[in-house]
Amino acid sequence: MKFHWFAEASYPKLPPDFRAKKISSWVDTPKSLHDPHVVGEMCRMFIRLMQQADRDGFDGLAVNEHHQTPFAVTPSPNLLAAALAHTTQRAAILIIGDSLALYNPPTRVAEEMAWLDCLSGGRVIAGFVFGTPMDSVYAYGIPPAELRDRFEEARQLILKSWAEQEPFAFNGKYTKLRYVNLWPKPIQPKFPIWVPGSGSVETWDLCIENDYCYGHLSFSGLHSAKPLVDAWWEYCDMRGADTNPHRMAFTQLICCANTDAEAERLYTDGVKYFYRNRYTNPAYEAPPGYRSSKSVQAIMGHRKIAESKLSAEDRARAASGEMSFWEYDKHGFIIAGTPARVRQRLREMCTDLRIGQLIACLHQGDLPEEVAVENTRLMGQEVMPGLRDLWAEHEDRWTPAATQLPLAKAAE
Amino acid sequence: MQFQTFGAASVRLWRFGQGHPVLWLHGFEGHPGDAPYLRRLAETRLVIAPEHPGFGESEGLSAMQDITDQALHFRRVIRALGTRRIDVIGHCLGGMFAAELAAISPHLVRRLILVGSYGLWDDANPLPDAFSLAPPAFAAAKWAKPEAAPATTEDPMTRQRNLGSATKFLWPIPDRGLIRRLPFIEAPTLVLHGAQDGLVPPAYGQRLAALIPNAGFQAIEGAGHMPMLEAEDAFTNAVTSFLG
Repeated sequence: MKFHWFAEASYPKLPPDFRAKKISSWVDTPKSLHDPHVVGEMCRMFIRLMQQADRDGFDGLAVNEHHQTPFAVTPSPNLLAAALAHTTQRAAILIIGDSLALYNPPTRVAEEMAWLDCLSGGRVIAGFVFGTPMDSVYAYGIPPAELRDRFEEARQLILKSWAEQEPFAFNGKYTKLRYVNLWPKPIQPKFPIWVPGSGSVETWDLCIENDYCYGHLSFSGLHSAKPLVDAWWEYCDMRGADTNPHRMAFTQLICCANTDAEAERLYTDGVKYFYRNRYTNPAYEAPPGYRSSKSVQAIMGHRKIAESKLSAEDRARAASGEMSFWEYDKHGFIIAGTPARVRQRLREMCTDLRIGQLIACLHQGDLPEEVAVENTRLMGQEVMPGLRDLWAEHEDRWTPAATQLPLAKAAE
Repeated sequence: MQFQTFGAASVRLWRFGQGHPVLWLHGFEGHPGDAPYLRRLAETRLVIAPEHPGFGESEGLSAMQDITDQALHFRRVIRALGTRRIDVIGHCLGGMFAAELAAISPHLVRRLILVGSYGLWDDANPLPDAFSLAPPAFAAAKWAKPEAAPATTEDPMTRQRNLGSATKFLWPIPDRGLIRRLPFIEAPTLVLHGAQDGLVPPAYGQRLAALIPNAGFQAIEGAGHMPMLEAEDAFTNAVTSFLG
């Protein structure tokens, strides 16, 4: 079982009536609502927390890409990754990931990931994402009709630019380059590659056909996630694909404290802030053509199963920050409490969903730094050691070799 | 209606009436099918109305790498019909296609009518984002009288597919360089526009008419983006008197 530290770098000082005013938290959120000095403080905090996570034994530090949103002020994950690659020693630099269709030319992704691999001593996990509709379609203007095609062409170019030893020409539909010749080349002969998705069958095929790790990165609670994760594993079975748990990554909000009562006291505000301020104009979330008809139908089927467990009304309450702390916990939006309780619930969930790569979200919303410090410490020192046996019999091909060395050896 | 293959595209094609042929190119929401206004045009001529690749049940969008491929697709359609010169009416997205066709194949187009047509962009008067307008706002922009608009019977999945395919040419800005090619249009052209069109405001039609060498502009009162539905008589009269 592997554990990766992650947080959505949420802008922490949105006005209290942000949600009540139904301001979209993505694409056209008024810039007047933020102060760049606060963003600077926030970035420094996340870097400190991830440096701590590296010392506390996490296997990876996850960074992601979003645009034009206070929900995650990380327009370039590679910049954050650079700060971490230089100031951490052991953990993987989990870039989850670069939105391939948005880089022009896409060799930019290949170069930056290779450079980060050099800087980090071979610790980079290469994540390829389509990007949310808000990011790729609205903020970056890619026609949905072209998104998958552009992603695929970029992916081919990036893989070839890492693998080829001689300069080559690339005559794509969207990118034409006479000389592709990467400097630097990455340390790792073959990057571990992860691709997150939200249930599109086409993304499952991509992961299965290329032996990628598939990530279900959502915050919609266990009831929404379970039908999708179950369907993914059934699909793997149906296609005769490897069902090694390490090829599945999953995000989970975690709120750890010395007592359950303290967890409620420390985390309630942050969790509610996180959910309350995620409202996005529905049109931005579902532009026509972003998903294929086949995937839309499949996803609607999964949603029906989810709704049988948690009503649409309850889901709306969760999404607007109106559930109680323990209701969030009960429905799996968060896993909270003492290290023993968190450990037990994670064991049940990861066993049930067959998850080998847990992306633990240890900071939420406007949580104070000292609470996230303690969360990270408890998770690293008291929760994770008791879960290392899970899936230990399965090899992990999806994290870099350099990060799989025993701690003592890595310190040498 | 029948399926017909043109190059890499297999599309549905409706044919009505007989006489001098007119090609009807539909808008971004989808093919109108057996629409009354097409039947009316077919009283005096042969109406050929293909569905665009990637819309409804028609395939072949992946072969349309850019707007040139799309215009050449219609050239194939006209050639396959065996006629040399044809009248072309394009509505909305279809208007953008029709103008492109007339610019790069002027020898094939006898007369051209552009209805509520996309293809231009004006920074001083930006078009609304038709893909993200909430349904009530979309209806208010589309119709002169939204409260009297015909109920839609379209399958929502088909509509999503159609709009998704339309993004190929309309997203993020519906400008694929048509303005540079408008001077190459030789056909006498009528730019028709619903006076209350909120999706493509009439100023866009006036600009088209000003940039096409031999074009006139006509607004249809009491109509929005769908003058053939909201003002069918005025629309039909304008079309038939222009085509002769």
